[in-house]
Amino acid sequence: MNRKLLSYFIVPLLLLTACDLEKDIEVALPAHTSQLVVECYLQPGKTYKLTVTESVSYFDAPQSPFVTDAEVYITHNGRRIKLNYQPHTYQSAGKYYTHTSTEVMRGKPGDIYGLEVTDGKGRKVTGFTKVLPVVPIEEVEWKFNEKEKAYLLTTYQDDPNVANYYRFVTHIDSVGTKPDRDFTTSDNLTNGKRTSIGSAYDYARNDTIIVSLYHIEKQYYDFLNSVDDAQDANGNPFGQPSRIKSSVQGGFGIFTNLAYQRKTVVLH
Amino acid sequence: MRYPFYFLLFILVLALTLPAVAQNYTLSGMVRAAATGEALIGATVAVPGLKTGTTTNENGFYTLSLPQGSHVVQASYIGYDASSNTVTVSENNLTLNFSLSPATTELQVVEIEAMTLRQKLNDTRMSVETLTSKEAKLLPALFGEVDLIKTLQLKPGVQSGGEGSSGLYVRGGGPDQNLVLLDDALIYNPSHLFGFFSVFNSDAVKSVELYKGGFPSQFGGRLSSVVDVEMTEGNNERIQATGGLGLISSRLTLDGPIVKDKATFLISGRRTYVDVFTRQLNRLNEDKKDYNPIPDYYFYDLNGKFSYKLGEKDELSLSSYWGRDFFTFRDDDFRFGFDWGNSMANLNWRHKYNDRLYSNTSAGITSYKYTINNEIDIFSFKLTSDIEDYTLKTDFDLFLSGGHSLKFGASATRHNFTVGRLNFDSEDNSQSFGAGSKYNATEFGAYISDDYQVNAQLSLNYGLRFSGFNNGKTYFALEPRIAAKYNLTENTSLKGSFANMMQYVHLIANSGASLPTDIWYPSSASVKPQRSQQVAAGISHLFGNGQFLVTNEVYYKWMERQIDFRDGANLFVNDDLEAEFLFGKGKSYGTEAYIEKIKGKTTGWVGYTLSWTYRKFNSENPEEAINDGKWFPTRYDRRHDISVVLLHQLSKRINLTGAFTYGTGNAYSLPVARFAFQDVQGQRSSVVPVYSERNGFRLEPNHRLDLGLVLKLKPKRGAADLTFSVYNAYNRRNPYFVYFDQLEDEATGQITKFQGKQVSLFPTIPSVTYNFKF
Repeated sequence: MNRKLLSYFIVPLLLLTACDLEKDIEVALPAHTSQLVVECYLQPGKTYKLTVTESVSYFDAPQSPFVTDAEVYITHNGRRIKLNYQPHTYQSAGKYYTHTSTEVMRGKPGDIYGLEVTDGKGRKVTGFTKVLPVVPIEEVEWKFNEKEKAYLLTTYQDDPNVANYYRFVTHIDSVGTKPDRDFTTSDNLTNGKRTSIGSAYDYARNDTIIVSLYHIEKQYYDFLNSVDDAQDANGNPFGQPSRIKSSVQGGFGIFTNLAYQRKTVVLH
Repeated sequence: MRYPFYFLLFILVLALTLPAVAQNYTLSGMVRAAATGEALIGATVAVPGLKTGTTTNENGFYTLSLPQGSHVVQASYIGYDASSNTVTVSENNLTLNFSLSPATTELQVVEIEAMTLRQKLNDTRMSVETLTSKEAKLLPALFGEVDLIKTLQLKPGVQSGGEGSSGLYVRGGGPDQNLVLLDDALIYNPSHLFGFFSVFNSDAVKSVELYKGGFPSQFGGRLSSVVDVEMTEGNNERIQATGGLGLISSRLTLDGPIVKDKATFLISGRRTYVDVFTRQLNRLNEDKKDYNPIPDYYFYDLNGKFSYKLGEKDELSLSSYWGRDFFTFRDDDFRFGFDWGNSMANLNWRHKYNDRLYSNTSAGITSYKYTINNEIDIFSFKLTSDIEDYTLKTDFDLFLSGGHSLKFGASATRHNFTVGRLNFDSEDNSQSFGAGSKYNATEFGAYISDDYQVNAQLSLNYGLRFSGFNNGKTYFALEPRIAAKYNLTENTSLKGSFANMMQYVHLIANSGASLPTDIWYPSSASVKPQRSQQVAAGISHLFGNGQFLVTNEVYYKWMERQIDFRDGANLFVNDDLEAEFLFGKGKSYGTEAYIEKIKGKTTGWVGYTLSWTYRKFNSENPEEAINDGKWFPTRYDRRHDISVVLLHQLSKRINLTGAFTYGTGNAYSLPVARFAFQDVQGQRSSVVPVYSERNGFRLEPNHRLDLGLVLKLKPKRGAADLTFSVYNAYNRRNPYFVYFDQLEDEATGQITKFQGKQVSLFPTIPSVTYNFKF
């Protein structure tokens, strides 16, 4: 919120002081010891799959550095499920995975899963995730104004007995597109309340809106926010640099599970 | 160091100094303005033959300890002609009063200050910078907006937070560690527009004194500096108007007598008008489809001062300030408003009991508040934070024989804090929740100090402040202060000082800017007060027939219980702010060299600072420690800082000025590595920067030259001038910040390269201001 407010002020100031105020510079960076990066979202009913890459020095060439010798295991109830190195891309979403298994995840709320990734350089990443229950979307409402623009109101009931974290995402027309809105929230101010998330008058008549409410772990909430903060700090003169709060130990990344409900509405 | 040590030191100093110097006699008196009878505060009273001198107190009173014999005593004050008298000292308690006439030209004003060079040499105080509005008005300014606080940044040991910023970073302290006083009343957020302009309207302000160290005992509550701003008093002669039309703002001041020789008033206002142009621009473009309207922004200040002489012994004055920044945006469905500002009113009563005892008692209210209002359809969101203080304060000056001037007093402040008060509502009551906390706290202080002129060579100022704070838990502290001056020769003096400072309220801000949404937060059971100790030593030498004063000071400052925040801390709406705090320590050390010339047609100064400033924040959870718990430089850690300021009177009508500054680039954090993040669906695929050391990089050095020209006009009535300023005359692209960009192939959207980019803020900016007085 602060940063948005600030940008309102800075933009007119920059306009006021004309152009040509940006130039390319060379920055000498210290040597970086590359670390493993994992991204794994377990989803009940879906096969196990994840991506293992590694971090690189900032000005290295921009290709994705796969770790071909990485060995990946997911542990659950004493079982070690091996994920094989089989890189492939889902063209529709433009998303790639490096390791997959044919086994389907059948976890229930409360179940705990572990992750173990090792490679030939002796690097090791571990992590845990606890399967969360889905928080249902109770209602999606909208209201048009005189200009035929509508706002959207999504309502859910927060559980008062535990600290909850949410990720709220809306897409227009298809989940294969860039999200229309995407943010995280907690029940810090709304514990136990029937909570509504509103929007501005952003939508037109007959728009198809896909609303997703993810009930997320704190470690995922922290990771997403730290990623946002780190990205904001690069390019914001007022931002403080932020350390990435990974949910895994020994590297960067996220190992979590997805518990979400999705509703599609057409704004008639 | 521990308190018993301080006590020993204090007792030792007392024991050393209390024996009176038997052969000396006391001379005392008042220094007043001849026309108005106004007591002149801080006027210099010197005895050149003995190379000694003093300054008048808040009542215009001075006292000197002199040996038997005949002496020439000289009184001087900025903006007035000096006056000399010969006095024969043969008995105690002699009185000698001075009446000074106003100087008639700017040159004289500047020349008169040359008198203060010897006084500066002989002053017990050290690490003090003084600046008058008259001086600041001659110097070039960004957008032509004369700003005393920004001019102070040209003095050694004082840094700005960034280009164009009016924040003061004094000897390694943060901008929240400055005690900013306007006519003795605290101003919490002394800036407009994220620190680009200070709240002090140059027409309403007479002068400012900045203490960087060696703090006198009457000041407390902040760690790093005291910025003591004095408002102009209404003149006693006739009603007059002063004002100016500038590039972005205009000013108007009215002042004069209400009852001749008894009561005066001053009302001063300033308002920016960029919003007038942006509104017009919005109107012209409102039919364009892709046009995004520019939000409205403006700020204004109102200053008022009313003085009333009740009689020979009593004087009342009421000082007030009201300032607001407004930022608004609205369309048919959406309304956004954001306003913030300070307000202050302070009633002051000065009383003279007799020639030796004076008191100065005040009661005041000061507050800082911000409000954000956001409304869309039936939903409303309102966020407020404020701090409101009620202060009672009294100070006494007691002049004793034997060269002792005692100052003692006490103060008590009731703080009311509202921290992040949030209300979210809908008209149909379907939604309603709130957050925020309120705290009430009491801060108090009592002090005693002695300004003791031991002999013609040695003078001491030592004192002890007892301070405390209560917000559920009570804290007490003893703050010893001592300063000493010794004249090695007629033209050379050595100075030293030690000061212990406490700070009980803290600014909660985790950005590099001075944001209006920064929150003041009280000490509590788990947030201990900040503490600092500073030692400084210096040498001053007057040369070139008294025209040049060169000063060199070295200092070391320790800071404890500094506050920073965990990564990703939410400071905006959070009912448990304390969980986000990290506590650490700081240190700052350096040396400042300063040479000034104030006499002649060409005057000015050159300052050089070599300094180091570090912080260290550990945590029980090593993951939360900043920079892995190791020392790191603050963003404003500046190894080298040079300023050269020249003023030249070309003719009676034309003054030329120039200011060159050079500073080591700010310490800055940059990512050293990156990784790719796809996210759940893959559509949010992005590059994640990985930061390592806090402030591990340096931006390029900052340097620029500002030029100014003041052309006096000859209006039929009154006086007027045109002030031309060229900011950044050689168009230096100073780094404001650096970021890493990703270059993409336009056709495929694929990233082709990563590139470092440097952004600058202000190119060459010419401006002109028309000033008038009639």
